[in-house]
Amino acid sequence: MTLRTTFMALLTATSLIAGKTIAQPGKSPLITFRVVFQTGAASDPKGKEGIASLTAAMLSDGGSKKMSYQQRIDALFPMAASINWNVDKEMTAFSAETHLDNLEKFYAIFREALLDPGWREDDLRRLKDDMINGLRISLRGNNDEELGKEVLYSTIYKGHPYEHHNVGRVAAIQSITLADLQQFYKANYTAANITIAVAGGYPADFVSRMEKDFAALPKGKSVKLKLPAPSAVKGRHLVLVEKQTRSVAFSFGFPISVKRGDPNFVPLLVAQSWLGQHRNSGVRLFDRIREKRGLNYGDYAYIEYFPQGMYRFEPEPNLARQQQIFQIWIRPVQPPTAHFALRLGIFELERLVREGMSEDDVAQTKNFLSKYVNLLTKTKSAELGYLIDSQFYGIPDYNSYLKSALSKVTRDEVNRAIRKHLTPQNMIIAVIGQNTAKLRDAIVQETASPMKYNSPKPDDILAEDKLVEKLKLNIPAASANIIKAETLFE
Amino acid sequence: MRFLPILFTGITMLLSAAEPQPKAFPYAYQQHDFPNGLRLITVPTDYPNVVALYIVVQTGSRNEIEPGKSGFAHFFEHVMFRGTKNTPPGVYEKALKQMGAASNASTWDDRTIYHTAFSKEDLELIVRLEADRFQNLSYPEDVFRTEALAVLGEYNKSSADPSEKLNEVLYDTAFDKHTYKHTTIGFLKDIEDMPNQYAYSKTFFDRWYRPEYTTIIVVGDVSEAVTKPLVQKYWSQWQHGSYKADIPREPAHTKARRNHVDWPTDTLPMVVVAHRNSGYLDDVTDHAALDLIGQLGFSQNSDLYRKLVIEEQIVDSLGFSNFDNFDPNLFQVMARVKKPADMPRVEKEILAALETFRNTPVSAEKLEAVKQHFRYEFALRLNNSEAIASTLAHYVSLRRTPETINRIFERYAQVTPAELQRIARKYFVENERTTVTLTSKTKQ
Repeated sequence: MTLRTTFMALLTATSLIAGKTIAQPGKSPLITFRVVFQTGAASDPKGKEGIASLTAAMLSDGGSKKMSYQQRIDALFPMAASINWNVDKEMTAFSAETHLDNLEKFYAIFREALLDPGWREDDLRRLKDDMINGLRISLRGNNDEELGKEVLYSTIYKGHPYEHHNVGRVAAIQSITLADLQQFYKANYTAANITIAVAGGYPADFVSRMEKDFAALPKGKSVKLKLPAPSAVKGRHLVLVEKQTRSVAFSFGFPISVKRGDPNFVPLLVAQSWLGQHRNSGVRLFDRIREKRGLNYGDYAYIEYFPQGMYRFEPEPNLARQQQIFQIWIRPVQPPTAHFALRLGIFELERLVREGMSEDDVAQTKNFLSKYVNLLTKTKSAELGYLIDSQFYGIPDYNSYLKSALSKVTRDEVNRAIRKHLTPQNMIIAVIGQNTAKLRDAIVQETASPMKYNSPKPDDILAEDKLVEKLKLNIPAASANIIKAETLFE
Repeated sequence: MRFLPILFTGITMLLSAAEPQPKAFPYAYQQHDFPNGLRLITVPTDYPNVVALYIVVQTGSRNEIEPGKSGFAHFFEHVMFRGTKNTPPGVYEKALKQMGAASNASTWDDRTIYHTAFSKEDLELIVRLEADRFQNLSYPEDVFRTEALAVLGEYNKSSADPSEKLNEVLYDTAFDKHTYKHTTIGFLKDIEDMPNQYAYSKTFFDRWYRPEYTTIIVVGDVSEAVTKPLVQKYWSQWQHGSYKADIPREPAHTKARRNHVDWPTDTLPMVVVAHRNSGYLDDVTDHAALDLIGQLGFSQNSDLYRKLVIEEQIVDSLGFSNFDNFDPNLFQVMARVKKPADMPRVEKEILAALETFRNTPVSAEKLEAVKQHFRYEFALRLNNSEAIASTLAHYVSLRRTPETINRIFERYAQVTPAELQRIARKYFVENERTTVTLTSKTKQ
């Protein structure tokens, strides 16, 4: 069905080097594109945070030399096609899908968008507004859950190239000029940094034509970003974001030195999946916090960056990073139960580290993951995206990689990985809420937080609550800071 | 929930007008009715191994006719995961986990959909488990009360988003009698009262979870030779019900309505201008024409978008919706405005654009471009078995058959510039208009 085997052979020979093409010819009349540059927000120069995103936006949502943005919209509209962009720390992805009927017309627009940007002042003005409103309004104002996650990331990566939001900082975005963008484009959008991926029933010579066209980019050098290690988190630190809002959202975690391809990745993935597989109701945190106690809508755990989790069931591909964090996401809770909910989340994490996973739980989770992985690549676009990520990490295609590793991983390896990498005693806790001073004081003073329920609870839950309600969180006052929401991302 | 994608549009091949139109839904399917009223639709596809099973129940927030019960259909969707005597929740979850299945559900105005994607060898087990919970659902009151809190959590998680509030106020203002007055999640006071509605939940299940309101859709690496005997085996004992709800009709309005939301935190101002629409109709052109007007007037390639978003840059988001609803709902145009001072101007521009459709026929060329957009958009959407099943489920919730897709696309093809003008005059009338604005208290 695909050229997977050819690609696999290629990977074995030259994994990790960008600049390769992934071609999957097939019968489908839907042609899928993914063009990825190995550059991103971690390459934003100091003072110009946002330049990687603004560059990608100018290519995708601005005009080319030949066509204004409006002309492009008009041309793409009858084809129902669009060019989507996404910038993460180390990757910039452009994706699109078109019907075979329109392939040549669409490709001409796609090629010009990426290779001949128009660099117009009016596009820049509009896209800066979009990005600033995205940070101030859509994220900081209207989405407490995503805000909690981003505050957690930026706190963990303080002083590190990963610190600022992928979209940048308001003042920096305002200062970016067309010349800045052109310079960034020239240095980073290079042949050495590019991976082209195409799938579908395209003509035989299509991919080689595309390769030839994109060879017009400056040659450049494929250099993987050298990143410092994030500062070690010592003890527990509370960051409370004060804003007017109904409920209290939590995200907490710490950096981990594990990514895809590392020996401990799959063992840790098993633990994470058991503890809190995203949007999955059979998992531990969900069961204890929502299902048994009704504290909120859901509770999950992650070992890789997963933005927009409130809208998505599966993560976007092409968010590959050299460094990742472990995090737990407690969805918004009613303010009177906030302290208890935080304690319960930490209680479950501490229990996992203390007791590890049972043989049965490991076996079931391995089985689950080995089937669930198929759903991650159910569309061609996702399949291509995962293949590009596998290049980045130097592993075979994700399905084969995961299935093969899962078949070998043992309970001991899982529990060793848990003990080695999960450090609940050292972590950052991000809180979004109102009247956070009260919550901070209660946490710092280790005030008891007994639960009251609207229905009788089984004895085991009540007994557990007695432990949870006075669980010591060990956060000194000096490590519990309140910041005002309006100061974030400025 | 309210802002679901509405424009399921297009066909896979483009042919000139002289040639016969190919079917918009390109897959061969089998449809079978069981004696108890249950319907099974099977769609074999070329996508290997995976099967998507969607169960469509034709009940949603539209069916919540009693006062104080808004949001109940959605709440009941949660309760459906609380197990049966044979299969307690833990056993159900464990079985799904062993299959590596992805399972979830969603509720909207007119329907509730339960969906699972899994490997084809697990089909019988899934059909059996689903049959069990639809026929033998059983949950104690304490579990029910706890689940009600998860619904409150669902309300809370979205409560920082002003567009949710704008939507709630829009529907509350635009409807007096019809149950579309409340959103699918329901009024907050009703959500807070849900833990006390255990007895009503039994009534709700008894009324609506019946074979005559239910359609099972199976898409993927399957055939009807496999699905029909399985559904026969596990679902044929399910009893036909007798309940029919009298959904109140919304009377004609005598004047335009207006409302405003003061948002407590920083946000950009928003305005929504809504007119009563036709509801989903596949036998006449009204609904199809309104879909086309929405695209022509308010999508990315409209004149208004060019003026306000690209040239003047006073609006950062402009869009429309004309949802496929069972009964007449709202044709909405929504804009997010960068500065509060520009709000009156933007509202006037939206009204002027709507007025243009009443007064001036659009060019045939522009109309054709939108029809083409719809056909390709639909074709691009059907890119895996789950996507096909989910698209079908949407239409099946309205007319219980995939044929309605072919019919609505025939209606799109029929619409002429003159027809657009006739429909614009029929629906864009002042008496049936509701306008809601939202501004931040902190920026006034």
